[in-house]
Amino acid sequence: MTVIAVTLPLTLAYAGLTALALAMKRHHEAALSAKPPAARLRGFRIAGWVLIALMVASCLRLWPTGLALSMALGLVTLAGLPLVFLLPYRPRLMVRLAPILPVLALIATLILT
Amino acid sequence: MKAGLRQSMAWLHTWSGLLLGWLLLAMFVTGTSAYFREEISLWMAPELHHSEPSPETPALAWAALNDKAPDAKSWDLRLPDARSPVAELRWQPNTPAAPDSGRRRGEQAVMDAGTGDLLSPRASRGGDFLYRFHFELYGVPRIWARWLVCVATMFMLVAIISGVITHKKIFKDFFTFRPGKGQRSWLDSHNATAVLALPFHFMITYSGLLIFMVMLMPWGMNAAYQDGWRGFFQDVFPRDEATSEAGAPATLTDIAPLVSRTEAAFEQPVRRISVDWPNRDNAVIRVSTDKAPAVTDRRRGGNPTLVFNGTDGTLLERQPGDEAIPGAFRVYNLFVNLHLARFADPMVRGLFFLFGLGGTAMVATGMLLWVSKRTQQLRGKAPGGALRLVNGLNIASLTGLLGALAAYFAANRLLPVEWAGRESWEIRVFFLAWLLALGHALLRPNRRGWIEQLAAITVLWASLPVLNLATTDSHLFSATAWRVGALAGFDVVCLILAGVWGYALWRVVQRRTIRGQGPLPQRPRPQQSMAQDPRSQRGARTAGDGA
Amino acid sequence: MSRLFLQRLATWPGLGVALRTLIAVFGGYALAACATAALSVWLPTAPATAVITANLLSFLIYTVAVLWAFSTRSAARACAGIMAPTLLLAGLAWLGRAENLL
Repeated sequence: MTVIAVTLPLTLAYAGLTALALAMKRHHEAALSAKPPAARLRGFRIAGWVLIALMVASCLRLWPTGLALSMALGLVTLAGLPLVFLLPYRPRLMVRLAPILPVLALIATLILT
Repeated sequence: MKAGLRQSMAWLHTWSGLLLGWLLLAMFVTGTSAYFREEISLWMAPELHHSEPSPETPALAWAALNDKAPDAKSWDLRLPDARSPVAELRWQPNTPAAPDSGRRRGEQAVMDAGTGDLLSPRASRGGDFLYRFHFELYGVPRIWARWLVCVATMFMLVAIISGVITHKKIFKDFFTFRPGKGQRSWLDSHNATAVLALPFHFMITYSGLLIFMVMLMPWGMNAAYQDGWRGFFQDVFPRDEATSEAGAPATLTDIAPLVSRTEAAFEQPVRRISVDWPNRDNAVIRVSTDKAPAVTDRRRGGNPTLVFNGTDGTLLERQPGDEAIPGAFRVYNLFVNLHLARFADPMVRGLFFLFGLGGTAMVATGMLLWVSKRTQQLRGKAPGGALRLVNGLNIASLTGLLGALAAYFAANRLLPVEWAGRESWEIRVFFLAWLLALGHALLRPNRRGWIEQLAAITVLWASLPVLNLATTDSHLFSATAWRVGALAGFDVVCLILAGVWGYALWRVVQRRTIRGQGPLPQRPRPQQSMAQDPRSQRGARTAGDGA
Repeated sequence: MSRLFLQRLATWPGLGVALRTLIAVFGGYALAACATAALSVWLPTAPATAVITANLLSFLIYTVAVLWAFSTRSAARACAGIMAPTLLLAGLAWLGRAENLL
């Protein structure tokens, strides 16, 4: 059961980190379009941090505080690594997964737990 | 040194990382395996695999102890749980203890949880050998080994912090990874494994030091207490001395009602039962459950416990184990419990296992980066003795160690079960394999050496499940292994790891990297989880590393 | 030691590094140890809590001392910068301890 419950914070972390990556000009140009306006970059940064905050909240729902915060840090790490390797090889896939995965995880969590 | 903070930190980072990097690699590999030490020990004792826990287990264990040690001074019984399907019985014989003895030597037995038979597993140190190696090495006087390990940990702490200071664009380069660019790819891998998991790395290193703080930094205790550390521990964990006199003989009450009562009281499964003076009229039975998961709890004691009178089962005391702990202690406990991954949730431990692999990759990529840089500086000339030595030691401490691990597990299956010396010989096989790998690595400190050793460990690790199939009946195609999840898990992890080494081997053999031209077309997608990808960078090597 | 030997030693380029290493490793430890002792004695909490808090900080102090010893302008500065606080803290610790025992 916990495996399924963990997918939500994990995918939220992935989405948040993707957004934060897209907030950097270099990665944005690699993944989406060239010459992004500063406003869009800022938008991605805000979205990224909001998603990270949601992720921490979902961890606090699953575990007691001390463990939740440690797990949050750990899951950010775990979510970050596939991202780091998708970015040079399949940047568009990386972006497309970002909204899909948390939704799937949310559905799975609601149905199966 | 005069050249600014970043440069001095870069120098410090390189040397503090490199000098003891090989030891740190060994510590990371064995430490990572230690997260599953019980599972490894179980895998290495096939005689225990058929034990099936049942509600009768406490009563069966009770009967076994009454049979084996009715006159013992104390009993200690550990019931089966998710990590171990057998009941572990321990007892302290009622012999006069030597004065001032540290640990009184008790006796123990293992019981099949379903049938109540006492089992005799093959002699093996199991996962404990690796766990102990992690902080005490082997064959070295204990205190020296611990100090060496702690010195290496201190080096690592310096390396981490100097690394962060020297990493100029730590935020900008957070997601940067440029494959196929030789040295730069090594640097990116090193940065990725290091920075992304920085909280883990800092935690594991700092907590490692805290665990040994009594040995490393007793000065605070010596200053604040007359008795030094003894005074400190007496203050924090006041121990009531158990009554040292046996009472008159009496019958011990049944255990089953006490177990159900405790489970109902705390709503957790009962894990541990200890008895002072069994079969006497002053017998006391303590029934303890698991703790609810909370990382800031004390390591010792603190489990919810009911204390009963041993002859009639009346409740004497209820110890819910939730006394408030001062803040500083909670911080200490948090660090230590995280290091040891004390919360038994297997998924969380699996996560820590992955992080441990990541830490290994971080140290490994750092050392490979150093070699890569020096090789590049040579510009095609033959590498000198020092560089060959470092390269050779890199190979030996990485693929060599991994091969030795597989050899250790294989020896467990291959050495005769009844052989008296098998326990020591399993360990000897480990070191012999490592020595062999070292010799090979020093003779071939180059790409060919890497290829040969990677090939060897791919075969070795893939053969472990096969060996298991041939020598036991708790292998991947049996029901037993899947019932006791850990057994199937072990074989599956062996196969996955063999796949990782195979992938690394393939990348090194291919070596189609062309410097400065970015990712190649049709590069196959990295298929699996993060644990493997840092290793895959072995493919991105510079041209000048000799063949 | 002959005068030539001492002259050679003084101009050896690795001397600064060697000195800094000694100071960082041993002086840093001494600094951390004295700081731990001083904090354990002087922190206004229960003795056990003071000891734990001091120990929690000790390795950080050691690390910072090491980093500082290697990044500061000269080996001499490193030496002075580590020894002075060490002596001060040692004095404080001794003072606090003596008070406790009296």
